[in-house]
Amino acid sequence: MRKILKIYKPFTHAGVLLAAQYRVNFVFFILGDVLRCFINYFLWHAVFKSGGAETFMGFSEIDMVSYIFISFLTTTLAYSDGAYAVGEEIRDGSIAMRMIKPIRFDLAFLFQELGERTMSLLLAFLPLVAGVEIFRFFATGRFAFNLWFFLLYFVSLVLAYLINFYFNVCFGYTAFVLKNLWGANFMKDCIVGFLSGGIIPLAFMPGWLGTALNLLPFASLTYTPVMIYIGKLDGIAILLSFGLQIFWLAFFFVLQQVIWNASVKRMSVQGG
Amino acid sequence: MKRLSKIHRMFKLHRIFIKQDLKRLMEYKIDFLTGALGMLVSQAVELVFLSVIFAQIPSLEGWTFTQILFIYGFALLPKAIDHLFTDNLWMIGYTIIRKGEFDKYLTRPVSSLFAVTVEKFQIDAFGELFVGFVLLGISIPGVSLEISALNILLFIVALFFSTFIYTGVKLITASVAFWTKRSGQIIYMFYMINEFSKYPTTIYNKAVRFIVTYIVPFAFTAFFPASYFIVGGNPWYNIGGTVVMAVLLMSIGIFLWNRGVKAYESAGS
Repeated sequence: MRKILKIYKPFTHAGVLLAAQYRVNFVFFILGDVLRCFINYFLWHAVFKSGGAETFMGFSEIDMVSYIFISFLTTTLAYSDGAYAVGEEIRDGSIAMRMIKPIRFDLAFLFQELGERTMSLLLAFLPLVAGVEIFRFFATGRFAFNLWFFLLYFVSLVLAYLINFYFNVCFGYTAFVLKNLWGANFMKDCIVGFLSGGIIPLAFMPGWLGTALNLLPFASLTYTPVMIYIGKLDGIAILLSFGLQIFWLAFFFVLQQVIWNASVKRMSVQGG
Repeated sequence: MKRLSKIHRMFKLHRIFIKQDLKRLMEYKIDFLTGALGMLVSQAVELVFLSVIFAQIPSLEGWTFTQILFIYGFALLPKAIDHLFTDNLWMIGYTIIRKGEFDKYLTRPVSSLFAVTVEKFQIDAFGELFVGFVLLGISIPGVSLEISALNILLFIVALFFSTFIYTGVKLITASVAFWTKRSGQIIYMFYMINEFSKYPTTIYNKAVRFIVTYIVPFAFTAFFPASYFIVGGNPWYNIGGTVVMAVLLMSIGIFLWNRGVKAYESAGS
């Protein structure tokens, strides 16, 4: 383990430097994306006003507002650029260079991306969590922050990121077939965003569909951590969802390994 | 006469460039399908979102589901048309100026702005255009919309000028790159405000309503003109406002662009 850390630390360092370089851009992008949260906030506010009821399918307005912002935070932090990075390398052939180096291809990417994530942690995490907690304080009149749920949320968030990372690496291999990486990625992000509960809580889905979506790997990416944060899952449900997250992580890790081994054998790269 | 032939020449050039892009499209059919399908999927997902909401409530602050669909569909059209023709402005903000590639547009015998935008015909936008028309088609029978010659004319006017509100916002924010080298993230931040235009502005609070009406006036690309067609209102404000805002933004944009071109310094070497 220490050896692994020693080998891959430079990648993390490079990631941190890269993120620091683009921090101003990052802030603008986050601001642009947070706008969408505010649209949803107003939309749900109007929904609760028009519906007249205290809850909407089991969610109170405070739950819903927390859900909007925490799910945005979770999606941002668990985001992985793996599909695009892998796809680009396959397309321009630089992936060949990865093969002749005595390091694991996936770990090099992973450690670099972890380094890049530090900036999101610094710039998005604190303001969003603080914002939600302040909102909850003023809406309920008491301090709703629960350290226990928060820590469990963080564990679940880390798992979510790892699942997303390996899922994206697997997806990146589609670059062998598709050339429009931008289009393919855009479509993937939309579908995953929906299936993971990033747009509406999966609890709003009708019976069997809701159950099926809960079991799919995508629920582990956003829905599970957010439900833990807002205190909608009890002890057993939290344990079960951790089990499911670990299962999907193992699944995509093995799948990625299999595809990689298979493609190393039959790869041909253009040019030289 | 001279001016007319100049416009004629611009249209001719546009046709040639579009033809080139369509040839490229035929070459990479799967690419086109993924791009357009992606746009289609992203809209479909949002519509599921809306239908889940409307399955629980009869109306949203007095707006019915069909009325919301009409506004939503209307909002997509100018966005798609702008996307189709001026997508290259994003690249001004991201790479073209930073890498010094802007030089080549200065050597062209047409205005640099025209040369930049004509270069890319973004076919992915057909996905949005398609969804927009489908939504209008679905919702028109369900809203009280009078189909008259005047309304059709106003519709075309509203669509035309709404598109220029998009272009204007992109042009102003992209021009910043002439001084800062890179402004993609600024274009993104302002462009994202267009998302507010998909819903009736009556659901927002006063501050937000003021911003999307008068500061970054995306409300005039969808809610104001669209609501005029379905619930009536003052056409001078709802559609005239669109025209005024479009002219204003485009004037500022072109002014900044021209100043920017003068300030432009190529990248080294």
